[in-house]
Amino acid sequence: MRGAVDQMAAMGPARSADRAAAQIELKGASKTFHVRGQAIRALDPVDLSVAAEEFVALVGPSGCGKSTVLNMTAGLLTPSEGQVLYGGSPVHDLNRQVGYMTQKDTLLPWRRTSDNIRVALELACRATPKAEADERVARMTELVGLKGFEHHYPNELSGGMRKRTLLARTLIYEPETLLMDEPFGALDAQLKLVMLEQLQALVQQRRMTVLFVTHDLGEAIALADKVVVFSARPGRIRAIRKIDLPRPRDVYTIRFTPEFSRYHEELWDVLKDEVSKGTDI
Amino acid sequence: MADASMQPALPRGRPEIEIMTDTSADGTRQDLPGGYLVWQLGLGVVLLGVWEWAGFVTGSQWVNRPSSIGYQLAQWSTGEIYPHLATTIIELLSGLVIGTILGVLAGLLLGRATRLGPILRPIIVAFYSIPLVSLAPLFIMFFGVEMLPKIVLVSIVVFFLLFFNTFSGVATIDDDLVATLQLMGASRREVFMKVVLPASTAWVLAGIKVALPFALVGTITGEMLAARSGLGYLLNQASQQFDMTAIYAVLAILMVVGVIVSEVAVRLEGWLLRWRNTNT
Repeated sequence: MRGAVDQMAAMGPARSADRAAAQIELKGASKTFHVRGQAIRALDPVDLSVAAEEFVALVGPSGCGKSTVLNMTAGLLTPSEGQVLYGGSPVHDLNRQVGYMTQKDTLLPWRRTSDNIRVALELACRATPKAEADERVARMTELVGLKGFEHHYPNELSGGMRKRTLLARTLIYEPETLLMDEPFGALDAQLKLVMLEQLQALVQQRRMTVLFVTHDLGEAIALADKVVVFSARPGRIRAIRKIDLPRPRDVYTIRFTPEFSRYHEELWDVLKDEVSKGTDI
Repeated sequence: MADASMQPALPRGRPEIEIMTDTSADGTRQDLPGGYLVWQLGLGVVLLGVWEWAGFVTGSQWVNRPSSIGYQLAQWSTGEIYPHLATTIIELLSGLVIGTILGVLAGLLLGRATRLGPILRPIIVAFYSIPLVSLAPLFIMFFGVEMLPKIVLVSIVVFFLLFFNTFSGVATIDDDLVATLQLMGASRREVFMKVVLPASTAWVLAGIKVALPFALVGTITGEMLAARSGLGYLLNQASQQFDMTAIYAVLAILMVVGVIVSEVAVRLEGWLLRWRNTNT
């Protein structure tokens, strides 16, 4: 079983490269951190390619370097070896084509919900007339279910509400590529499904490329065109699996289809060894 | 940071834990009828009464009596005190404003400057190690006996306190907030206006609160050394004439000025930092 997946891993990048030019490409990119004189290998050399408008989910145990891949794509980290390409050219300095929703809460604490969501539209590079900005903020606020909380400060919101504010703030300026680091981790199961559906609709409508990190294999299969399984640290790609489920997908019921179960079983088989290795980290 | 006096004042944050007290939401103790104010006023009246009694029994002008001090204040309030009060307040506020603006600007600039900051900071620390009021004679020689030397002195005292606080505040700014805005495409100026400035507000305000009493000390010290007007000048005059009543009266005015100035600062902070004081 695992052999078959590994085989597919080898085929994965080639196939997506056929389909379209790679938007994001990691070529033997690795990362070693130096913490108090000690070298910690976060990511072994990784080859990965994400085509334009492709939705790729990264799953794997904690500390396996998934976030490192996002940080390198955003230009917040430079690879220790190898290269990270975006739109064909190497990423150096910050990559402003991406919208990055980090795991960390990076809301501006002195801004109310609606002003936090609006912030990107205030910047000179995306100058938006006030009326239009108001309208987009209102629409986005409603989309993420924060209507009625527009005038609350972040410390007056629950963890899930803050996550949704972050999501709205990232989506509102419709970046070409979305980098998302466990965006729905703090949400309850029902709300998570609603957000998954919204995300899917928006990504399709705006034709965005998405690199999505999650702990939740089910979420990954439900959303992604391609699921990438990482090994425990140092992170390596254990498997790449194309998910051939038709779109639009019904995130509420897709879990109960036999195809979904097959993908889940197959990928879980790879993932479970890594998760048990990763738990002692 | 070796010297405790250089420790920047921490901004007031939201307490991590709700501390259980027997105080109700409106700040009144439930087991005390009438709340705090009545008891505070009552205690004040009792203390003044004891003082009055002691002054009456001893008959000493060193002990003095609140009633004579009150009479002195009432006499002054017909006109004589206002020029002095105005001088002191103008010196105090000018020094505060100038010192705050310069201190915050220097703190922001050096705090963000990765190379210049570490070079200049020790030099500024060295200057700060001089007890600043001891500069007063120097300024009097430079700038005469009018308001200017006091304004310079207060500005310098306030400058240092605000500089250290702002400098530390800038250092605590979350780099991830900066990166978030940069990824959205914010320019340096936009990052400064939307992240650095608001994030430093708490530290600046904490610095102002610490600087206020020092500013008042600087003003009065300067006036006591050489002046033609001001509360410090009045205090000096009174002490040269052994006029205890006038000394006590000036001290009473200074107390009121100090309380008003800090109360304004607390209110201002509460309003500017409403985003962190609010709680659900």
